[in-house]
Amino acid sequence: MQTLSFQFSAGQPAQGRALVGCVGSGDLEVMLEPGTSGTLAIEVVTSVNGSDARWQQLFQRMFSEQQMPALNISIHDFGATPGVVRLRLEQAMEALADD
Amino acid sequence: MNDRLDQTRQQHYQAHDLLWGFAPEHLPLNAPAWVVEALQVEPPVVVRRAQGTAGTIAVGVRGKTRDQRFACWMPRSAVSHSVQPEQLIEPGLAQAHRDWPLFKALALLAEPLDQSGLRWGVTGSLGFQLASGIEVIHPASDLDLLLRTPQPISREQAKAWLELIAQAPARVDVQLQCPAGAVALAEWATSRSQVLLKTQVEPLLVDDPWAVEHVAP
Repeated sequence: MQTLSFQFSAGQPAQGRALVGCVGSGDLEVMLEPGTSGTLAIEVVTSVNGSDARWQQLFQRMFSEQQMPALNISIHDFGATPGVVRLRLEQAMEALADD
Repeated sequence: MNDRLDQTRQQHYQAHDLLWGFAPEHLPLNAPAWVVEALQVEPPVVVRRAQGTAGTIAVGVRGKTRDQRFACWMPRSAVSHSVQPEQLIEPGLAQAHRDWPLFKALALLAEPLDQSGLRWGVTGSLGFQLASGIEVIHPASDLDLLLRTPQPISREQAKAWLELIAQAPARVDVQLQCPAGAVALAEWATSRSQVLLKTQVEPLLVDDPWAVEHVAP
């Protein structure tokens, strides 16, 4: 198990919370909470060691496409592929919007 | 025509099947050293959910640790034999460590699963060990199960399964194999929004996993 931290610039804090995903191989759990204004903070607990650079790349690609609200994102990863991570993050953002 | 023929052959092997015959010569040149080392004992490789080109099967090589998983392609012609998860539920297969939580969990769930009339089997590290004799499980290992559900399972049914699983002494991950892909039993039972369907081509968020017929590449 390894814990990784990432930070990106963001807008105003988001409203509400969201929890999506599933504990199980090839999947992940994503929890969103309002963050500190201007900061998108992500913490990833993963069973896959040495994956820092791949997470960084994935987040960079995702969050450069759009201005994100300030959030604390907590991810519990069980070896999910980038496609699954992206989908779960989108699902979590949508759940936040519906909240 | 040829493409369709190849696709039919491709479907002969399903995700989680174990295949023997994969050799170092089938690896790409950029494969890490641990993969070549792992292949020395001629282990089975695990069929992945991905669409191969004609004549190849998407497989994964397992190493000693959790992060040692290498995705690659196996020539169909190299497969010497295969085992399906359903073939790995004979209790006699596992002699040692019967008192480990995951075996107790398996013993608890085997009968109700058999009674359900559905086909089911053992996947993950225990499946790999039962099939190959290579020791990969440890006292804290999870139990991974595959339940073949060609017909819909209601969320109520799924909840009932989940309650039973909650009594197991080990963590149990059950995947429901639907016609178009797999969904986690726990998510189907509890999710209030869409669920993740892992198809041959890509992961999808869907309302009803059984309503998706087939995902073409």
